[in-house]
Amino acid sequence: MYGLHSTTRCRRGAWWFAWAAATLISHTGVAASLDDDIESLSAQVNEHLASVRSLERQLLYPTHTRLSVFLSLAERETLDLDAIELFLDDQPVASHLYRNRERSALEAGGVQELYIGNLATGQHRLKAVITARAADKSFVRREAVRSFIKPPGALVVELTVAAPAPDYQPRVTFTEWK
Amino acid sequence: MSGSSLEWFRRGTLGLLMLLMLPASASEPPAPERLREGRIRYALATGDLPEALRHLPGLSGASAPFLRARAWYQAGFRERALAEFQQVLEGPWHRGEAALVLARAALADGDQTSAQDRFEQAARLGPATATQEALYQLAMLALRSGQADQAGDRLARMPEGYWAASGYVNLARHYAEEDLSPTRALVALRVALAMTAKDPLPERAKALRDRILIRSGYLAYRNGDPGKALGFLEQVSLTSTSTPRALYLHGLARMAQGNYRAAMQSWHRARKFPLAYPGAADAWLGMGQGYDRAGYLGQAGEAYLAANAAYESERVTLRTLARDIHDRGAYPALVQAARNDDVEWFLADNRTLQQPRLAYLLDFLEQPEAQQAVAAVARLQGLEQQLIGTSRDLALFAETLARGHGDAGRLPELTARNQTLLERVRAARTQVSATRQGPWFELEQSLVLAAHALNDLSAPAGNGDSRVRIGEYRTLGEAYLRQVSELRRRAEARLDALALDYVNRQDQRMARALGKAEQRIAHLYEYLALETLGEASP
Repeated sequence: MYGLHSTTRCRRGAWWFAWAAATLISHTGVAASLDDDIESLSAQVNEHLASVRSLERQLLYPTHTRLSVFLSLAERETLDLDAIELFLDDQPVASHLYRNRERSALEAGGVQELYIGNLATGQHRLKAVITARAADKSFVRREAVRSFIKPPGALVVELTVAAPAPDYQPRVTFTEWK
Repeated sequence: MSGSSLEWFRRGTLGLLMLLMLPASASEPPAPERLREGRIRYALATGDLPEALRHLPGLSGASAPFLRARAWYQAGFRERALAEFQQVLEGPWHRGEAALVLARAALADGDQTSAQDRFEQAARLGPATATQEALYQLAMLALRSGQADQAGDRLARMPEGYWAASGYVNLARHYAEEDLSPTRALVALRVALAMTAKDPLPERAKALRDRILIRSGYLAYRNGDPGKALGFLEQVSLTSTSTPRALYLHGLARMAQGNYRAAMQSWHRARKFPLAYPGAADAWLGMGQGYDRAGYLGQAGEAYLAANAAYESERVTLRTLARDIHDRGAYPALVQAARNDDVEWFLADNRTLQQPRLAYLLDFLEQPEAQQAVAAVARLQGLEQQLIGTSRDLALFAETLARGHGDAGRLPELTARNQTLLERVRAARTQVSATRQGPWFELEQSLVLAAHALNDLSAPAGNGDSRVRIGEYRTLGEAYLRQVSELRRRAEARLDALALDYVNRQDQRMARALGKAEQRIAHLYEYLALETLGEASP
């Protein structure tokens, strides 16, 4: 009698264990399957969004009139960018306030697209206003101006910011890529 | 040439330029490779994955295979990315970083042997960040297999910083579980504390430092050394989520020294934090106990009753939260509600620490499963928003192109007209003086530009090709949107289940605290009743 009771209890225990294990496995399986599905669909959607973005740019900014302005850092740890404003022919066209993530991205060798637009051929003026904290912890604001001729075809202007020792004052170099 | 003919030229040119707003089929010019590489790096670091993928075709240079693998991995092409990382590992550049990613992937798949080999490679090949993480992971693998000495050896070879500090914290936990004496655990925690000084991220270093100090304080208190415990606990920051736990332990250490008043001061401060944080609920009970020990029995009763009311109120808050999660879903009720801040920035810190709902969110997100579930919903919501945005843009483009399609038949006429204008302008330029060349030069340039654009539009892959592609992308985008929405619902259901489970556990915790408070009140009243009876008897 005692032994039978014990066996029944054991059997019940085994059933409970099996049920719990099955629930756990199915739950883990569902979670893994969901995460796999998300991963797979994200890949497809990201690829699709990349194609759409390329087409959009091709439609909005034809090669003949396109002007792109990029920003990069020459020395990676001498300057903490706070903000940048960009003026084209004295009209404000772009401004950006930097978050830590974006600063780190630039410090890691990243190049940021500050502006893309259409511009007629001929003489133009580009002005960049940079607010930053130099390596000696002082806050600085600098303006840099560059006159350039927009030729027929796409033009890329790269702004490279440097703040070399010993004065750590920011300097902007403009490079044109045709 | 007269002023009216110049005006005529201008109008004709402007008309042509208006048409040029139609798409051009010319392919993008090859941007300098360094710029392209930099743009991929920036896009990857800021999480703009479509932008990173867009620049991959034709990427060359030493870092190209590594950047390609990273972009694929982050975008979700896991298998393709891992194969590329394997290639990078066999090549001359970025070998350490590739080995680290492969090791993490092997660890996630449960393949410990392969993970160990890859971590060894990453530790050997560098760079410094990869080496530190790899050495930490190797130490943790040794610790998990019970080889604490080997783990200690690995950690001893690590440079100072976050990874080394985290490793010593885990080693201390192992020693605390294994040893009867806390000496080895405390030594490991002291080393960890010293290691946090070299962490380049100050917020992360502060959070880890607080945790280390609390552990050290608890170990010292448990070992019967309240003085040493106080030394650790008094260094904990007063503006973090760990503060109530530190204050509660501080009160316990003061109580152990017999200083009830100081203990109650700590608990009083801990009571100001939401009950979601560990230590806050215990501090409410501690106040009653402090008054009791100090001999103020009436105030002890009041403190227990106040604790009782606080727990009851918290259970109401938790029931409201559970209902909100049930009705609206955990993501809007917990995560998005936390983003809606209309409070001035100078109150933001206090608000974060004091609001019960935010406190529960922060505590909930301490669990890795919760982080994964929230990240999945956020990722899908981000994709959904991007797909909706692109769908809207594409619809607009399709409409604009359909309107412009009516002009396509005019292309031969426009091309001929442009050519005539160009020839007349060139002829006119030869007749004007050098000082008046400027406007004519500009007109000639505009007409040359117009000729290029008309040529592009006449090409078979021009306007018509764009319209076909827009149509295809719209259909594809709608199909993806449906799939993403369906997956988001599944991900939200998983998050809801986890959040409700968490809220239920918190409710049970409050119910247990409520039970304890009621027991204390019952004991106190029983004692007071017996005292009264004793006084009344002759």
